[in-house]
Amino acid sequence: MITVLVVDDAAFMRLAIKNVLEKNGFKVVADAKNGQEGIEKYIEYHPDIVTMDITMPDMTGIEALKKIREYDKNAKVVMISAMGQERMVKEAILNGAKSFIVKPYKEEHITQTLLKIAADK
Amino acid sequence: MSDVSKTFSGAEASEDSLSSKFLTFKIDNECYAIEISFVIEIINMLPITPVPGLPAYVKGIVNLRGRIIPVMDLRIRFNKSEIAYNERTCIVVASIDGMDIGFIVDSVAEVLTIPESDIVNPPAIKKDSNRFVKGIAKVKDEIKLILDNQSLIDFRDIDDIASAIQNEN
Amino acid sequence: MAEHYGDSLLEMFLFETSQNTEQLERIILDTEKAGKFSEEAINEIFRIMHTIKGSAAMMSFSNISTVAHKAEDLFYFIRENPSVEYDCSNITDIILSCMDYINSEMEKIKNNEEADIEGGEALIQRVERCLHEISGGKGVSRNKNTGTESKSAEKAADGEKVSKDEKSEKHSYQLTVFFEEGCGMENIRAFSIVRDMEDFADHIRFQPEDIVENNDTVFEIRKNGFKIFFDSAKTYQDIIEIFEKTPFVGSINLIETAKAERNQTQKGAKPEVKNGQKNGNKADKNDEHQSVQSLISVSVSKLDKLMDMVGELVIAESMVVENPDLSGLELPNFQREAQQLHKIINEMQDLVMSLRLVPLASTFQKTHRIVRDMTKKLGKEAEIRIIGEETEVDKNIIEHLSDPLLHLVRNCIDHGIESEEERIAAGKPPVGTITIEAYNAGSNVYVVVRDDGRGIDKNKVLEKAKRQNLLKKPESEMTDKEIYNLIFLPGFSTNETVSEYSGRGVGMDVVLKNILAIGGSLTVESEEGKGMAVIMKIPLTVAIIEGMGILVGNRRFTIPISAMKESFKPDPKDIFTDIYGNEMIMLRGECYAIMRLHKQWGIETEVTNLSDGILILVEQDDKRRCIFADKLIGEHQVVVKTLPELIKRIKTVEGLSGCTLLGDGSISLIIDAGWLVNTDIK
Repeated sequence: MITVLVVDDAAFMRLAIKNVLEKNGFKVVADAKNGQEGIEKYIEYHPDIVTMDITMPDMTGIEALKKIREYDKNAKVVMISAMGQERMVKEAILNGAKSFIVKPYKEEHITQTLLKIAADK
Repeated sequence: MSDVSKTFSGAEASEDSLSSKFLTFKIDNECYAIEISFVIEIINMLPITPVPGLPAYVKGIVNLRGRIIPVMDLRIRFNKSEIAYNERTCIVVASIDGMDIGFIVDSVAEVLTIPESDIVNPPAIKKDSNRFVKGIAKVKDEIKLILDNQSLIDFRDIDDIASAIQNEN
Repeated sequence: MAEHYGDSLLEMFLFETSQNTEQLERIILDTEKAGKFSEEAINEIFRIMHTIKGSAAMMSFSNISTVAHKAEDLFYFIRENPSVEYDCSNITDIILSCMDYINSEMEKIKNNEEADIEGGEALIQRVERCLHEISGGKGVSRNKNTGTESKSAEKAADGEKVSKDEKSEKHSYQLTVFFEEGCGMENIRAFSIVRDMEDFADHIRFQPEDIVENNDTVFEIRKNGFKIFFDSAKTYQDIIEIFEKTPFVGSINLIETAKAERNQTQKGAKPEVKNGQKNGNKADKNDEHQSVQSLISVSVSKLDKLMDMVGELVIAESMVVENPDLSGLELPNFQREAQQLHKIINEMQDLVMSLRLVPLASTFQKTHRIVRDMTKKLGKEAEIRIIGEETEVDKNIIEHLSDPLLHLVRNCIDHGIESEEERIAAGKPPVGTITIEAYNAGSNVYVVVRDDGRGIDKNKVLEKAKRQNLLKKPESEMTDKEIYNLIFLPGFSTNETVSEYSGRGVGMDVVLKNILAIGGSLTVESEEGKGMAVIMKIPLTVAIIEGMGILVGNRRFTIPISAMKESFKPDPKDIFTDIYGNEMIMLRGECYAIMRLHKQWGIETEVTNLSDGILILVEQDDKRRCIFADKLIGEHQVVVKTLPELIKRIKTVEGLSGCTLLGDGSISLIIDAGWLVNTDIK
């Protein structure tokens, strides 16, 4: 089973993503409400994939992405972004994000993306 | 407590520190008095919910804007015959020893100032209403029987009954 | 999506969004006082709107989402253009209106009512107009990148990767990629693909070229696909496989081409990106937020269960410590330890009860908004003084306290506080004061709303009551208190006195009802010309149980549902008398004693035949009994009020664990299940 870490500052979003993933056979091993916690949980749980919200207070998704990739160069991180955040998504990609999902997302988007990324390598 | 003193604007403000203000009310033809400081408010009759196990003179409980107040019919307490409640019947809500209680009375009269010097001890003879009276005063040719609040809420007689029943078993 | 996960997701959405709107309101009100928006405020407002927009969109609440979106745009502009001038007060009004809209739409969602689309559209236009004004007609478009980063990105400094090994088999390909529908930001996805291709491809060219700088390229990509020309040693099949594994790739068209294309100049290969933006919010201002982070939200039902368990623990403790097995024994060590145990359990009980306590602060703070709005519109001056907002009440209570409190404040401003001129003429300070105070006294919390306005006008009240036929006794015989209490009668506040703010159907009688519903009580004090005070007394903890109302004679009682196993009309065949003369009933092979409530309590009733009434099988402490009553009234949630102290002292009163007020104001006595199964049957 593919393990996932969900990072988003909105409890609502964490719950929503978790629901979709678990319904589709993924295992959400942990969630985090900010970048710092995201990094800590990554180190603790070493999930197969991380879903990372881009806009978060304190440490942004991109900073957290960088740090996680520093810790583990094989980390697979998928960014969750909103319309209008092209610049940030681009930067995330340059910093190693495997892909990104734009809100509002369709269920298949998340599941297909995670499946493909998990399968890669 | 100051509320009630406001409600009766006819009350004379007494400078005499050895006087107390009393609320007077009637039961049958007798006039009783209770210290104003114990009275919270005076209300009309409210629907009474009986509570099983209460002595006859405690009629039950009423809902006063969310506050549950037990009510005692003083006529019965004073061993008088029970009469139907009418529009003059009032409940005098008092707080004695920090507990709320409402006294059902025939009608409420007025607030009087009675100087201590005018109050004499009651004759120590019969029972009935006497054990509840701690003093007698004469105001403008009328006798006022001043009530002993503590005695009104003294339910030891019931306790005796209760323990008697238990012993029986 | 909401339909799948139903309640919990929706609950979460409503909870979080209302927390967000509350927070936003606080920021806005603070800002208004300051006169302009600080950088932190702007960022925070933007972030909150962004979050609301996102969650609402996910739940398909597009009216809420769009309003939030527009507000987000507005603040995006303000954030990106710090030197722009704007009317702080106007923007504050707009944002507050947005909050109001979102809050009221959430209420509608809770009550399954229709959304107010028109209101939303009007609001959207208002926000757009504002944005239009402050941006000098430019508005905000986040599709085009601003700034200089785009230009430099085009210069492909490194250009192509030249293949080191010229001798290996190289194929030339033309690839057209169509992305999955609705995946969003196709231009960036295209960018991502190009970047990933650098591992196995060179001489990469693509079309459209300005995918990075120009977000409008998404349209071309959606219509015609994203075209990439490249050379690679990989086989045709390899490349197909690679793209099959790539997320969001819908369909591809791969053609192997002749090798002649290589010489054309390449633009756009390996674009550089300058990081020109500031990310996120500063950490310093989050000091206050840090303290919020150390709280967690716990479901109230878990707390309820915890409280129940602690209750059981207390009972179990006494069963052990007062066990008959121990009677007569001298056990000093045991006693000492038992004392210690008792102390610990008591502390634990206090602690658990306190978990449900929530400070009144947030409810009190809501009043600021009301005062601001109303004084503005009514042209009066008033300020709020809050005392004791750290006083805590049970969570169950806070929700019921909010509306009454706000209504009382509205009432003070509407009817109590006079206009400036009147006040000055009366020798009062021109600005009225409304004091909201909370304090503990015994096991109750008192909340007082007091104003220094004109007080209750007895004559006006009497007139009104007369007109509404509410007077039950002659005017002259009414005490001041009785007159004041008239305002709580239903039907007292009619449409005449109801202003825009006091609202329809939210009269003082509703305030009273709400307070009664939480087991509290209400008193009013007033002095003409000086002001009035409404004092609410609320019990600290509210025991709420599920109860079944029953009727015995004309008396109403409540039995806790938790003790009820079943209820039924007995078949006379199943009833018999045992050798001691006790009534019994056979139920599915088991024998239960019958207790007739009317006999037990000496209540007169016409229903004495067992088959005419109802039998209720009650279980408590592993004991069962059948209780006979006239009929069942119905199940309802019951707020337990303790019996008056005086009654509790009377030993002949037994079997009652409390009482509750029914909707019509009458009292239903709550029967103690333990007594039901244990007491001797009369």
